[in-house]
Amino acid sequence: MTNHILEFEDVWKTYHMGDSDVNALAGLNLTLEEGSFTAVMGPSGSGKSTFLHVAGILDIPSKGLFRINGRQTSELSVKEQAILRRNEIGFIFQRFNLLSQLSALENVTLPMIHEDSEKAKMILDKMGLHGKYHKFPNQLSGGEQQRVAIARALINDPSIILADEPTGELDTANANSIMQVLQDLNRNDGVSIVIVTHNQASAAFADEIIHMQDGKIKVDEK
Amino acid sequence: MDLYKLALNNIRRRKLRSALTMLGIIIGAAMLMVLLGLTAGTTTAIKDETNAYMYDIAISPESTSGSYLMDSQTISQVENMSNLHDFREVTAFSEDMNSTKLFFEGVNNWKDAKIINGTQGVVVNQVAVEKLGYGIGSKITVKGDELTVTGISKEAQAPYVYINQTTARQMAGDQVAVIYASTNGDPKTVADEVKKQLSGVSVETKSDKVKEIQEMTDQALLFMGFIASIALLVGIISVINTMLISVMERTRELGVLKAIGFTNWEIKGSILFESGLLGFFGGVIGVILGIIGIYVVANALNLADYIPGMMPVWLILGVIVGATILSVLAGLYPATKASKLQVVEALRND
Repeated sequence: MTNHILEFEDVWKTYHMGDSDVNALAGLNLTLEEGSFTAVMGPSGSGKSTFLHVAGILDIPSKGLFRINGRQTSELSVKEQAILRRNEIGFIFQRFNLLSQLSALENVTLPMIHEDSEKAKMILDKMGLHGKYHKFPNQLSGGEQQRVAIARALINDPSIILADEPTGELDTANANSIMQVLQDLNRNDGVSIVIVTHNQASAAFADEIIHMQDGKIKVDEK
Repeated sequence: MDLYKLALNNIRRRKLRSALTMLGIIIGAAMLMVLLGLTAGTTTAIKDETNAYMYDIAISPESTSGSYLMDSQTISQVENMSNLHDFREVTAFSEDMNSTKLFFEGVNNWKDAKIINGTQGVVVNQVAVEKLGYGIGSKITVKGDELTVTGISKEAQAPYVYINQTTARQMAGDQVAVIYASTNGDPKTVADEVKKQLSGVSVETKSDKVKEIQEMTDQALLFMGFIASIALLVGIISVINTMLISVMERTRELGVLKAIGFTNWEIKGSILFESGLLGFFGGVIGVILGIIGIYVVANALNLADYIPGMMPVWLILGVIVGATILSVLAGLYPATKASKLQVVEALRND
C-alpha cells in the first residue's frame, strides 16, 4: 500500500497587496504518493512557487488542510516545523544557495545535528564529486554546485525532495545530467521528488506533470 | 554542522570588519583597564601613605606631663575603655649617639618603614646611614641592648632606627608614646570622655583632611570607571551596528539555514555567539594592551611599586566578562531580527 507523502485539501494562500487580496493558491486539491516524481509547471504567477513553499513548510496555508507524511503543518509550532523541514524535506534551489564560506563537504554536513563526514563524502561520491570535498562553491561549476546542493538535500535521508527550478541556472548538458541524478534517486532509492520548472525537457524526467494556473491545477498528466 | 563553527567562520571571512568592530571594544577595554588600574593603584598608594593617620583618636601623654611615654597602667586603662577598639600602639624614644640624637620607633607594619635595602628587624634610615655611618650588619647599643642593623629605609628628616613595636616597648620600660584607636560613636565625643576619665593625656581626633583624601580617592575610582565605561559602551554600539549589517547582508543565507531546518533559536544562538566572540576577543586583547599601558604609565609616574595592585584579578576578569556579556546583549536585537526573518522573503533577497 502506498502512503500519501503530500496532501492538499482545498488549500488557499492569500496575500494582501495594498487594498486587494491575491490568491496565490485558490482551493488546491492534490495528493502525491510516496515514491512519486512530479513536475509542476505553469506560467509566472500561476502559484507553483507558493505550492512549493507550502509543501516545504516555508509558508502556511491561509485556509484548507495541508499534510506532509500525514502531519498537518498548521498544527505544528515554529520549532516543530523547522525540525520537520530538517528531517523530512530536502530543498534544492535554482541558485544552489550554498554557503560560499564553506567547502562542499561542510555545505553538505550543514543540516546534520551530529556531523557525519563519512556519510557526506559517500553522497558526494554518488553525485560524482569524489575528490572535490574541500572545494569552495566558487571553485566549482554550476552543475557541480547543484550536485553539492542535492547532496545537502539528501544528507538527512528526507522523505521528499522539493526542487525549485533546479536546472534554471544550468546549460542543457548540465541540466540533463542533474535531472538524471534526480531520476536515479527516485527510481533506485525511492525518494519522492517534486520539481517546479519552466523547462519542458526537465519536466519530462518526471512521472507526472502538473500544470497550474491561477492557483489551481489545470492539467494533470500521468 | 555546528552553528557555532559557522559563527567563527563568519568572523574569519569578514576579517577587516570583525577587526574594526573589535577595535572599538579593544580601545574601550584597554581604557577601562588603564584608567581603573591606575586609579586602583594610586588609591592603594595614597591609602598606604595615609594609613598611619587612619585612626579615630590618638592618645598620648600631655606635653605638660614632662614625659613622652605612657606607663603600662595608663595603657591598661585606655585599652579597657568600652568605647574604644582596634588599638595600635607606637613606642618612640631617642638616644644620643656621638652627640647626634637618634630616634627609635616601634613598627607595627613593616610596609610603613619603606625598606629599600635589606630586611625588616632593625632598619636605619638614610639619614642615620649618612650621619652615623651605619650600614647593614652595624651594631647599635641602646639601653643595654645590642641591635644589629638588618636593613635600610628611605630618607627621612632625622636619623631613625625602626624596630619591632614589642621590642621598642620592652626597651622603653613597657611604655608607649601613642595609642591609636577606633571609637564606638563620634570620635570627638569619645575623645572628650577619654579626657575626662584619664588625667595627663592628650587626645586628638583623626584629621578631617585625611578622611577627605580617602573619600576623594574612592570617588576618583568610581568616576574613572564611569568615564572608561562610556568608552567601552561606544565599542559595544559598534557591535550592534556590525551585527545588524551582517544580518542584512546574510538575509538570503539565513533564509537558506531556516529552509534546511535550523530553528529560530539556533539562528539566534549563532548570532549571539558571534557577537559574544567579538566581545570576548576584544576584551582579551584590550586587557593585554591595558596591562602594557599600565606598565608604561606607572613607570612614567614613578608608581612602579604599585603595578601589581593596578591589575587585580577582579579588574582583568571584570573587563573580559563585561565586554563579552555586553557584546552578547548588543547582539540580541540583530539576533532577534535574524530569527524572525520570513524564510520565503529571505530566500528572495539578493
